[in-house]
Amino acid sequence: MHEMTNPYAIIKTQVLQVKTETPTIKTLHLKPSIPFRFDTGQFIELTVPGVGEAPFTPSSDPGNREELQVSIMRVGRVTEKIHQLKKNDIVGIRGPFGAGYPLELFKGKEVVVIGGGCGFAPIRSLMYSLFAMQGELKQLVFRGGCKNPEEFLYKQEITDWTGKKDLNIRLTVDHAEKKSGWKYNVGLVTTILDDLPVSPAGAFAIICGPPIMMKFTTLKLIEIGFKEKQLYLSMEKNMSCGIGKCGHCRLGNYYACKDGPVFRYDSIENIQDIWE
Amino acid sequence: MYFLPEQNLRALVTRLQKDYTVYLPEKKNNKRYYTTDAGNGTSYTVAEVRACEPLKAFFFKARQKVAAGYDAAMPPTEAKPLCIVGAKACDLKGFKVEDYVFLNGDFSDPFYRRARQNNLIISADCSMAIDTCFCLALGIKPFPEDNYDCNLSQIDGGFLLESGSEKGARLMENNRDLLREGTAAQKKQRSEQRTHIQNEVRKNIKKYEIPSEEHLKGRVKKNYSYAFWNPEAENCVECGACNTICPTCHCFLLYDQGDKRAMERLRVWDSCMLKRFARVAGGANPRPELWMRLRNRFEKKFDFFPQVLGLNACTGCGRCISACPAKIDIRKVLGRLAAHA
Repeated sequence: MHEMTNPYAIIKTQVLQVKTETPTIKTLHLKPSIPFRFDTGQFIELTVPGVGEAPFTPSSDPGNREELQVSIMRVGRVTEKIHQLKKNDIVGIRGPFGAGYPLELFKGKEVVVIGGGCGFAPIRSLMYSLFAMQGELKQLVFRGGCKNPEEFLYKQEITDWTGKKDLNIRLTVDHAEKKSGWKYNVGLVTTILDDLPVSPAGAFAIICGPPIMMKFTTLKLIEIGFKEKQLYLSMEKNMSCGIGKCGHCRLGNYYACKDGPVFRYDSIENIQDIWE
Repeated sequence: MYFLPEQNLRALVTRLQKDYTVYLPEKKNNKRYYTTDAGNGTSYTVAEVRACEPLKAFFFKARQKVAAGYDAAMPPTEAKPLCIVGAKACDLKGFKVEDYVFLNGDFSDPFYRRARQNNLIISADCSMAIDTCFCLALGIKPFPEDNYDCNLSQIDGGFLLESGSEKGARLMENNRDLLREGTAAQKKQRSEQRTHIQNEVRKNIKKYEIPSEEHLKGRVKKNYSYAFWNPEAENCVECGACNTICPTCHCFLLYDQGDKRAMERLRVWDSCMLKRFARVAGGANPRPELWMRLRNRFEKKFDFFPQVLGLNACTGCGRCISACPAKIDIRKVLGRLAAHA
């Protein structure tokens, strides 16, 4: 119990760098004024002073003590302001909140990571952690999909992963113009799941992306032979307080902010309207 | 059990005011409102029935400054702890839900914790039922059984005073000079009154055909359709009054104001009936329709809390019935839920 600490107060944080990733996504490199640690998959609340705050899952390596990175799509009032931030601006953060990915469980197992769209942000952080565990995993598989090559978050970095010898990787986009130079698959992410080099009986899969992508990916994996309890999903609802009190992110009997945002699928599959 | 003569209540309140900010119910236009002035000239109504404001409002405030700038410390709260006199059993059940939400888990809410830790609750038996009272249907009696420090039962000439905590017992010992021993006749009167008032609530339950709790188990999930909820939600104007007036509703919004030089974060009551409540950035909304949000309100109270806390998050106080401009009646909704197995 964090007795009498103030969970609503923010930590003063410096913007070290702002990187434009795609026409709609920027990555902030942040330096909190006090030591700040997180587990991959946990999220933070980022405050633009005087504007408001919004939840984001860090996209950087949890082992990186120098800075914290968050990749943010411009979709609303707060993210609009975040996109106007510049180097040396001051913001606030709270957290980390929630339960991250159960890395310990993955030791000795086949692990399939499937990311879509802006879901690459938490997934990149997870992949850094999994790369660091490489000798301890039986097999690491990555499948990534996006709308088009222009919107492909971390495109250079992720396409560079195709050169990693310990990684089975396939990438896809829904549509690609010829001039984009896209060399990989074209089609929905579900079209690159048929050749997963794992035996579903003992493998784990982690899925993060837009709801529609997570829904069809989940159904596809179950069709392939994965069991519900082998699937981990990131359910990002309207997380506000981060501590399971404000009520906004309720998902059945859980709050996404404290019981998630990463959920094992069997714990949430019977909740009505989970994909909405 | 002690007897507090009517004329000594004011003296007791005056003593309490040294250490506490004391609130007592005052009657205006046939309704009861908590006031700090009562006991200093205004007349107060300790018994009768619940006040208009839910008890939660003292501890989970409608608007609380919870952070300022980058300061990790808690902004200051009231100098003196709260003493609430005349809280009713329905509101005390509200504590079970609010305490669970704000004190349980890895993080507690330091503002709620501070207010609750130091508070003094001097509750009171109901001495009447109004038309909207139906506490017995939710397993609550119209007199406090737990969650109080001292309880007052109004009888002829004053109150029987019973302690419900060590703090309450100490209070009684420290103010022994204002008290007399309660007599057997006084205890008998209290017991008769308690029976009488329960019968009054039972009349309401019968009149409005309000089901008991065992007939509500699992019913929201079984009645999840548009056909069930839309007729109820049709007249809703999304004012959120049912949420704000409810002694168990706990949802809030963190709201930032000021600029980068003087930022303040407020924690304000929110309402799950409002369209943007669960909406995420980008516009996706799990509950875009009003009937879904009304269903969610009942699901939270009669499905979520029974599963996570083991009790329905309704106290039968009836405030939402009086507050709703659209005349949405929880008694009728519960009746329909129970009828549709």
